Amino acid sequence: MATATDARPAAAPGGPRPNRNGISERGLARLFISPSITAMAIVALFPILYAVVLSFYEYVGLQQGGFTALGNYVDALTDGRFWDSVIATFVFTVFSVTFEFLIGMGFALIMHQAFVGRGVARATILIPWVIPTVIAAQMWRYMFEVTPGFINWALPFVPDDFNWLGSSGWAMFTIIFADVWKTAPFVALLLLAGLQTIPEEVYEAGRVDGASAWQRFTRITLPLLRPAILVAMLFRTTDALRIYDLPAVMTRGAFGTETLSVLVQDFVIATPNPGFASTLSVLTFILVLGVGVLLVSVLGKELVLGDEA
Amino acid sequence: MTTRAWSAALVLVLAVLAAGCLRGSSPTDAISEDELIWAISVNDRPTHELVAQAWNEAHPDTPVRIEWLPPDANEQRRQLFLELNAGSSLFDVVSMDVIWTGEFANNGWIDDLSELRDQVEGNSLQASVDSCTWDGALWCLPYSSNAGFLYYRTDLVEEPPTTWPELVEVGLQAAEEAGISPYVAQGAQYEGMVVNFLEYFWSAGGQIISDDESQATFAEGDAARTALEFMRDAQRNGFYAPGFNTLIEDPARLQFQRGDAVFMRNWPYAYPLLSGEDEENPSAVAGKFDIAPLPTFDGEGTISALGGFNLAINAFSRKKDLAREFILFASQEQDTQMILGRRSLPPTLQAVYDALADDPAMALLSEVLPEAQARPPLPTWNSISQAMQDNVFPAYNGTKSVDAAIEAIQAEVEDAVSIGGQ
Repeated sequence: MATATDARPAAAPGGPRPNRNGISERGLARLFISPSITAMAIVALFPILYAVVLSFYEYVGLQQGGFTALGNYVDALTDGRFWDSVIATFVFTVFSVTFEFLIGMGFALIMHQAFVGRGVARATILIPWVIPTVIAAQMWRYMFEVTPGFINWALPFVPDDFNWLGSSGWAMFTIIFADVWKTAPFVALLLLAGLQTIPEEVYEAGRVDGASAWQRFTRITLPLLRPAILVAMLFRTTDALRIYDLPAVMTRGAFGTETLSVLVQDFVIATPNPGFASTLSVLTFILVLGVGVLLVSVLGKELVLGDEA
Repeated sequence: MTTRAWSAALVLVLAVLAAGCLRGSSPTDAISEDELIWAISVNDRPTHELVAQAWNEAHPDTPVRIEWLPPDANEQRRQLFLELNAGSSLFDVVSMDVIWTGEFANNGWIDDLSELRDQVEGNSLQASVDSCTWDGALWCLPYSSNAGFLYYRTDLVEEPPTTWPELVEVGLQAAEEAGISPYVAQGAQYEGMVVNFLEYFWSAGGQIISDDESQATFAEGDAARTALEFMRDAQRNGFYAPGFNTLIEDPARLQFQRGDAVFMRNWPYAYPLLSGEDEENPSAVAGKFDIAPLPTFDGEGTISALGGFNLAINAFSRKKDLAREFILFASQEQDTQMILGRRSLPPTLQAVYDALADDPAMALLSEVLPEAQARPPLPTWNSISQAMQDNVFPAYNGTKSVDAAIEAIQAEVEDAVSIGGQ
């Protein structure tokens, strides 16, 4: 991504030309970006590569044993707990991203309208997104707990002793609910930015041609919003696949809510095994990368790689 | 030079300056050179504060400052793990749960204190000293101890039951009459639930590993099955309060304190709170509850899991002499240990129990502590505990079969025993 955008200014009229001091403009550009490339390599690339290296070693507690090649990978892929957490992660991702997208789109359309109190409405909608996730998780856990039981008290058709956090299925529901509550405003923000780039004239032309409100939405808004939708989906999906704080705080991974990150963290600290933890991290990385690539290829390669691709 | 080059140079200079600022403001610099840092759980906060205050009055030049750790045992270990594994000298004195000794010692995180053994032995409770002993060496000094009590409502129950099945029977009936829940305890998926499970398991005659620590005996006999089936039935028939599987210590205490439960298994810290000693925190059960030893399956004796905190010196500390002086002060001075005793945080100094024999919580503790069972101090204890959390929890909630759970835990105990001595 970075190289594709960096190449553009250099392709400007004139092309590479030596400047007065003898360094070409492209050379100067390379010189200037080299510190940031180095910094990126140290903070981003090194840990990833180091995790890959560690994942080939066997550990007993924190003490390194021997090189096992793919031994940890075989253990992970034949472990039911790993697959359970893959399923939990995907269930969480599919449901939370879907609802966040639908609700976020609704919010964005509302915030885009001109009406009295629009500023207040925009600010209100964004409040959940500003609250740190751990705090939001604590808050929702408290609300869903049987005692004091705010949710059970507030909902008329739910028995007072309904145990949301401690029953199969509902435990995952509470986590998805909390995530949608928190992140739908973020999706709305991204989509709103997209909506504001659509010129009003296009809608006027549509109205002149007699398009209904629904037709204007599906034929004008959605296609022109595609770049914003892609960005929102990409951000949310890759983010949701790494979910840790909500299940860790709300259910401690009980009742099928142990996501991949919760599992990894278990092998980092609870039962330390850096080799196996790295293996799980690498697998998570591959999974997130795979889903990201898939999303980009489905929703629009040209949006990410530039027009020429 | 071109304008562009100039601005690039400016950015570079600013970046270097910013990096310098960041380095200058690291958190360790804020700590005074003479201050001792003691990391301990935020549970029983006022008691620990009084201990720190007593030290500070006697040592105004080298005061101690407390860094609070989270209330949940798993979280405390997580935080200490991150600090110590990184070789941080931030904490000088670390408070370890009785089960962490082997692991922390094996990882080289704490100092060997064997030369203090003579000062401790005979003065501190033997079980607590044993929990500080690993591989023949002494790694910490006992600060507080802990054992489970059965709290019961004297207005609803005449005599505290002595067997678990009787407890269920009495609890269900009394709860129905009063319109409240029968039983609250520690049921969430964490170390506290493991302790509760082990109390059933031990009182059914179970043993996790053989005495010489060479054999995994978890699945021998039918203790594991008795304990798990008891828990599963209690969850099914409503003996466990609604939401039991999300409860930890303090929410359970609050529920009992509001008068919403007939029985509670909890640590002694709840006693003064339930008696209404904290004015800001009124108790609906003051004068209407009492404490008893935990039941067993055959009605003979009582068994509780031994809890408590031991104080160790961070191997990376830069104030080791001072830290040593402090842990001797906190664990061996009778005045300090009396602070704990008066506030129902079980002390570890034998003399305090004799001095406070009139206090009901202290009296029950002297009865219960000699019978308390320690969890094996293996460095791999945490994997066993984790296996119990991952299997006991679904088994009692009915999402995993009892047989599969026993098999999985036994396999983990076997692994832990085979690599335990390393």
